Amino acid sequence: MKQVLRGILISILLLTLFHPAAIAQDNSSEAEEEPVIDVMGKIVDHDYLTLVGVKIYLPRILVVDGELYLYGSTKSAIASNDFQEVDGALVRSDGAPVSLDMSITSHLMYVWFGIILTLIFTIWAARRYKRGIGKSVEPQGVTQNIFEVLFLFVRDDIAKEYIPADKYKKYITYLFSVFMAIAFMNMFGLLPWGVSATADLTVTATLAGITFFITQFSGSKDHWRHVFMFPGVHPLIRIILTPVEILGLFTKPFALAIRLFANMLSGKILIVCILGLIFIFTNIFGPYVGVGSSVIWVSLTAALYILKAFIALLQAYIFTLLSAVFIGMAAEEHDHDHEHEKNVAVATDVTT
Amino acid sequence: MGFLAAGIGAGIITLGAGIGIGLIGKGAVESIARQPEASGDIRGAMILTAAFIEGVALFAAVVTAILALGISV
Repeated sequence: MKQVLRGILISILLLTLFHPAAIAQDNSSEAEEEPVIDVMGKIVDHDYLTLVGVKIYLPRILVVDGELYLYGSTKSAIASNDFQEVDGALVRSDGAPVSLDMSITSHLMYVWFGIILTLIFTIWAARRYKRGIGKSVEPQGVTQNIFEVLFLFVRDDIAKEYIPADKYKKYITYLFSVFMAIAFMNMFGLLPWGVSATADLTVTATLAGITFFITQFSGSKDHWRHVFMFPGVHPLIRIILTPVEILGLFTKPFALAIRLFANMLSGKILIVCILGLIFIFTNIFGPYVGVGSSVIWVSLTAALYILKAFIALLQAYIFTLLSAVFIGMAAEEHDHDHEHEKNVAVATDVTT
Repeated sequence: MGFLAAGIGAGIITLGAGIGIGLIGKGAVESIARQPEASGDIRGAMILTAAFIEGVALFAAVVTAILALGISV
């Protein structure tokens, strides 16, 4: 029985992997001017959502020179004669460019899906704990056990370890929710029509921005003293070190955003590129070599897909871990002055 | 010219990041072999340090992407 189920699962997986090729053939037969595979189209943001092969157009909210325009979709915006399409972007008919585009895009929708799933998951678990399941008795069911494993992981291995013991409880809520939301958003990219919203720099920059503000607001007196004025350092060296430290405040969240973005984007591009090799081989050596070599590329894609599933969880973990490390570094209070004095004493001993 | 610069840059980034992460892996494996009971802590520290190196490498990767795409800043 299990063997049969496994076989069905693997064949479904293989069929979904073949899916991009099928779409490409549809496109070439319907519209000749469209490229065979739109590599960037798989990666960039869209004004529509594809759910199980059905395109759902999303509303456009545009602000031009202080005037607000609301449309059900890009098509209705063009049909209303207020807007026209120039180089793939909407421009008002009198030529004024859009000053603020608040349109709901597919990446934004997937961010919301991730947040809603996180909310459902955590609120459901919270209700169970309130009823006493898991508190007075053992946690019951697979889902609650998964929740408990993940929560304990974030609490004990991330928050407790890197944030000072008297403060870590305040930050668990943020760390756990950001971990779950990023994990969900990353794993949406594994669905056949899904999009991983974290492969968009704006999404990751927003997440890193939240971490940045939490870090700054939880900074202790010692943290700020170490940023602006170094105890036990020669005043002339402070001229060099202070700008570097202030710059470091901003590079930390920047690296956080770029890391998540680049990791998720590279996985996407790699899969599309390797599937594209089928068509490159077909162009160079003819259809038989192309079809024959596709066995290699598709199995390689399957391996990459598993790697992507692993990276989706790993990047969520790394984002949470680094957020905890940064918050912990800022929130830490220490008696560094004594240490510096001790170091100075040791240094003078060595020199004498 | 931008493509050439981006290609050479990407190669150097990969070299640097590869050496860095390789050294981390070497250190981690050696210390786990020496003290297997501390493998959990060592693994955590290894991932953290590798993430920092990755961050620096990705900074450089963004620069090469800007070069290759011809975006003038």
